[in-house]
Amino acid sequence: MFPSSNEPLTGATNVAPVGRGGWIGRLPRLRLGEVLGVAPFIIFAVMFLVLPPFYLFGLAFTDKAGQFTLQNIVDLGQPLIVSAFWISILISAASALIGAVVGLFIALAVIRGNLPGWIRAVVTTFSGVASNFAGIPLAFAFISTVGRLGILTILLRTVFHIDIYRSGFNLFTFSGLTLIYCYFQIPLTILLITPAIDGLKREWSEAAETLGAKPWQFWTYVGIPVLWPNLLGTLSLLFANAFGAVATAYALTGTSINIITLQLYAQIRGDALQNPGLGAAIALAMVAIAAFANVIYLIVRTRAERWLK
Amino acid sequence: MRRGKPWAWLVFVLGALYFMLPLVATIQFALSIRRGTYSLDAFTNVLYDAHFQESFVYSFIIGLCAIVVGVLIVAPAAYFVRLRLPRLRPIIEFLTLLPLVIPAIVLVFGYIRLYNTSSFINLTGSALGTDILLTFAYVALALPYMYRAVDTGLRTIDVQTLTEAANILGANTPTILFKVIFPNIIVALLSGAFLTLAIVIGEFTIASLLNRPAFGVYMQNVGANRAYEPAALAIISFIFTWVAMGMIQLLARFAPKTAPS
Amino acid sequence: MKRTSLIATSVSVAALLTSIVPSYADAMSDLVAAATKEGQLTVIALPHNWCGYGAVIDSFKKKYPGITVNELNPDAGSGDEVQAIEANKGNTGPQAPDVIDVGLGYGPTAKEQKLIQPYKVSTWDSIPDTAKDADGYWYGDYYGVMSFIVNTDIVTNVPKTWADLQNSEYKNSVALAGPPRTAAQGIQGVYAAGLASNGGNADTAADAGLQFFKKLNAAGNFVPVTGNAAPVAQGTTPIVAAWDYNALAWRDGFAGNPKAEVVVPSDAVLAGVYIQAISAYAPHPNAAKLWEEYLYSDEGQIGWLAGYCHPIRFNDLAKNGKVPADLLAKLPSADLYAKAVFPTLDQLNAANKTITGQWDSVVGADVSK
Repeated sequence: MFPSSNEPLTGATNVAPVGRGGWIGRLPRLRLGEVLGVAPFIIFAVMFLVLPPFYLFGLAFTDKAGQFTLQNIVDLGQPLIVSAFWISILISAASALIGAVVGLFIALAVIRGNLPGWIRAVVTTFSGVASNFAGIPLAFAFISTVGRLGILTILLRTVFHIDIYRSGFNLFTFSGLTLIYCYFQIPLTILLITPAIDGLKREWSEAAETLGAKPWQFWTYVGIPVLWPNLLGTLSLLFANAFGAVATAYALTGTSINIITLQLYAQIRGDALQNPGLGAAIALAMVAIAAFANVIYLIVRTRAERWLK
Repeated sequence: MRRGKPWAWLVFVLGALYFMLPLVATIQFALSIRRGTYSLDAFTNVLYDAHFQESFVYSFIIGLCAIVVGVLIVAPAAYFVRLRLPRLRPIIEFLTLLPLVIPAIVLVFGYIRLYNTSSFINLTGSALGTDILLTFAYVALALPYMYRAVDTGLRTIDVQTLTEAANILGANTPTILFKVIFPNIIVALLSGAFLTLAIVIGEFTIASLLNRPAFGVYMQNVGANRAYEPAALAIISFIFTWVAMGMIQLLARFAPKTAPS
Repeated sequence: MKRTSLIATSVSVAALLTSIVPSYADAMSDLVAAATKEGQLTVIALPHNWCGYGAVIDSFKKKYPGITVNELNPDAGSGDEVQAIEANKGNTGPQAPDVIDVGLGYGPTAKEQKLIQPYKVSTWDSIPDTAKDADGYWYGDYYGVMSFIVNTDIVTNVPKTWADLQNSEYKNSVALAGPPRTAAQGIQGVYAAGLASNGGNADTAADAGLQFFKKLNAAGNFVPVTGNAAPVAQGTTPIVAAWDYNALAWRDGFAGNPKAEVVVPSDAVLAGVYIQAISAYAPHPNAAKLWEEYLYSDEGQIGWLAGYCHPIRFNDLAKNGKVPADLLAKLPSADLYAKAVFPTLDQLNAANKTITGQWDSVVGADVSK
């Protein structure tokens, strides 16, 4: 360890003396360096993360002539927009919940289920891949699976004599989209929750067993409370992830179905709503909803952590 | 070593089925382009398509630029926050969480309005300007992951000691950063780089609204116009993502596990 | 004396004539030079299999190698194209389109919003008057009729009329070829359905069409997906209402896998005219003008014919015997076209407003359970 004391180093001629004055003498120069080091980040964040939402905030209150108006916010109450928001929230919540629960079970199975060691590595890598497989290719994959000519559809029809399309199944329904979104929500959960499960020491469950606790008691009093904050964070992340997704739904239907991201896309590209201010209001509401999910998480987490302490 | 619990096996097998089935189905669909027989026509059609090659190269290059810009923006900031400005940490971390809360479509809507020809910074007025805007948009998308990768990397090396040592030897800050810190966190940087690349290659929303010829836009176009080629594209894209993620796993083996004492 | 003055007069008249005549050739080469100097042409919404645009663009590039063609968003609808001009006012970058190819109903509104500039191509006179703006702001380029493309691997009983589509055997099967809020093809699909269900009354067809699709949606037959070659082949939308040229091009693209049939419904033959226009804010106006000259030359018009479209100068070309017999044989029969309904501009305008404005509230393809 280099001495940070006042003694000057001996023998080195080209080194500034690390005396009492030396460090203080160098401080101003470091300060400039600090600023220069952090500045690109701050400038970038302001330009590309902070300004856009603020600008849209302003645009949401502007009408087509450029005057201040609250009409766009009022227009958010149109049945079309409301149902678009509602269905988006439902799909996001459903896929987040299912993704979190299923992901939790799979992660628990892989980490604590005493499965062969190679399974964990494969599952981790695959989760990384699958969570990035969202978007356009995912739509293609599901069309190949449960599309009209998909392998599963044909299997169900020829072997089990169930024609899912005759009974009205489609990929761009609530159930279809939730099914597809789970494909990247579940792996994302696995990735996010693994560190927390790793933190559940084996000693704890063994101690609980020694004390006579049944597995469900362990989980109710120790396991879930420890995982709870991480689970909540995962849930809110999953919700925001699904809420903002555009590509998969677009690849499936174009801008035809009524989910809010596609409405916004159609407005940006083709002025489908014939009102850029309304588009900005939609964008603002989307950010508000996603932020709200995060705020709930933060509140519940602070409460949970207080309890944990 | 206890045998695997039955419920664990059940969950694993069911999960594997759910995830494998679409992949198998996609491969089978891609091979069925010719009536009644299996053939690789869909794959060859795609790989020999000039648009495929152009758009893939375009996205790859934008990805590389996003990586370089991302590293240059994130690494110095993470370094200084860890070293000298711990008070800034909450602000920085909040900023890195913004891309997770603000959907990409909202971001690009803002960019189109803010940085067009009638504003003070005109980026959409030229192809190069729009490419630059696209790069910065991708840096924003990858920011949370890049920051976390770099921060983790910095945590495992003793930044304080390295900096003091280098200072004493007379190095100035840029030298410390580029010649001392970066080589020590190269594994973390590369992890962030591969993750950024995976995000950029398939991205659709921003590229299509900025009208750039990216790979995601190409894929969507093929998806609307050709029946079997999209399945081949999905497999190709999956393989590419697998390679990128596999590289990260590989690199994790070489990462320094603990800070040297 | 009289003979020399006669000769002198004729010589001077000839000299006078030769000084006026080469104006066309000069103007053309000036345009080519100016366009080549600009070096780029930005087009939008031109899929390569729409009216054979792929081949048309390629031959344009071959003819004028100094001009690169920047192709934006091939899947854009007419509404998207007009919006692209609006959103890029004053932007000279690559997102600003130079020329647009939109449904007839979009011409007058674009002119009103001052988004397009006038230009009369050299073959202006051979364009029918009903298909062009008198001041030269927009001009018809080609037309086709609304038809169905049916994936016969999935649909065994091919529908022959719009009314057939309401049958329960077509559950989960019928789609439009574009979103009815922004694409002329989608809007005209609704309009054609209306014509079929109200006995051909062109003024009330828009409302009738909306009611038709409301019934179709309620019956579960309507699929809210933008129909295109891929969804037809993959079975997501086995029946799509699209222009005959698109339907024929998609059928060709399948190459037998899947088998498909193109049917023009017998209860309504709706003709749809598309128009060309140059953006008022075009970054490369000379390249745009050169492109228009090319499209309206015999070469360009035949290029569209090869893509199954009826070019607007079809009658003029046929009169001069310039239409190749083999291309003519591939088109749908002329009798069909003889009874096609060409809506007037006013009817189209009104229909556009009705359908784009009321689609969501009347039909509302909401996400179902």
